[in-house]
Amino acid sequence: MMTLIYRLLVVLVTLLVVLELFSQKDLKSQATAALVLIPFVLRALMIA
Amino acid sequence: MKATVWTAAVMLGISIAVVIAVVPQFGVMHQEEAIKKGAGVTAVKPLSDYFPGLKGTAGDTEVYWLDSGQAGGTVVILGGTHPNEPSGLITAVMLIENARPAKGRLIVIPRANASGFTHTDYSEGSPQRFSLPTPAGERWFRFGSRATNPIHQWPDPDIYVHPSGQRLSGSETRNLNRAYPGRPDGNLTEQDAYGIVQLIRAEKADIAIDLHEASPEYPVINAMVAHDRAMEIAATAVIELQLDGIEIGLEPSPKSLRGLSHREWGDATETLAILVESANPAQGRLRGATSAELVVSGEDQMYARAAKLGRLFVPFEGKGIPLSVRVARHMATIKELIRTFSEITPDRAIELNGVPSYADMVKQGIGSFL
Repeated sequence: MMTLIYRLLVVLVTLLVVLELFSQKDLKSQATAALVLIPFVLRALMIA
Repeated sequence: MKATVWTAAVMLGISIAVVIAVVPQFGVMHQEEAIKKGAGVTAVKPLSDYFPGLKGTAGDTEVYWLDSGQAGGTVVILGGTHPNEPSGLITAVMLIENARPAKGRLIVIPRANASGFTHTDYSEGSPQRFSLPTPAGERWFRFGSRATNPIHQWPDPDIYVHPSGQRLSGSETRNLNRAYPGRPDGNLTEQDAYGIVQLIRAEKADIAIDLHEASPEYPVINAMVAHDRAMEIAATAVIELQLDGIEIGLEPSPKSLRGLSHREWGDATETLAILVESANPAQGRLRGATSAELVVSGEDQMYARAAKLGRLFVPFEGKGIPLSVRVARHMATIKELIRTFSEITPDRAIELNGVPSYADMVKQGIGSFL
């Protein structure tokens, strides 16, 4: 149950980072959001 | 260039492309190395036979039986408790592929923490595999992580509270050698530990040996750590090994440090519990780049320098500490412990044939026996 809750949290944070990516007005910040997204997606998919 | 929705979409596309590109690389760690069943192997069973709760999980692992069919004692050998300590895995594999018991039984678990083999430790720059040359060509083995894969057991608590009440860092919750005696309703690592203890108990193992490695700067190195009841055979074995030119120390298992095999196996069962350490430069803090070559050769300039400065607890000269020497040490230690035990308790004697000698392994290389 705890693992399921944490996976849902990871998916939520992933979506928030995607929203952040599209709301940023600065290229560097967009790149940072895109980079941060990678480990979150890998964890949400239980790959790494 | 201004940031727009389109640049965001491009960045998102790049992220997705990176994810797609790296997925196969993570998948490599889920491919199991081949282990050949030697002439002495009489059965292969899953650990879940001893604890059904492990069935279908990443914690289930193969148990190899080498039963002579003749009355005698039982030895359990664990490799791969920490998958970033390769001499344990390779020693276990060599036993499976070469040993032919003539009396008693050998039970070998080569990948005690099977989940730990499916990933590497973050920020360590570890290789995913290393290779050994054999007469049949190169043979690869995984170089895993010290701990259970977090995708199999997650999240970590801030503090890991062992059933004894001992408190450790939260990441130790995925360390199999802090989880004994385990719990059937615990996390995956604790269930793995529980299954192993059930096996030791059910098979009435006379001796149980846990194979490890540690950094050359670690004080408990090239040594055995023995439970109170195992001190007699361990001490005798140490003397015999030293007379054979293999320097090895002996430490008593501290009663205050809980969760480790040398303490908990001995307390929870009747077995004589012993943990054996050899020195592995590939997991030390002073090392240079962590390459597959370092894992096998054990040669490292920084360690050579540290040795000259007197900072290490083991000799480190010239050619470093190759994997062949580390495996040879483990094998010689196992043989001597079995021999000593068999001498002290002849009605529970264990006799092993087909196991190469220390000298042969060091001279010919361990690949010759794989």
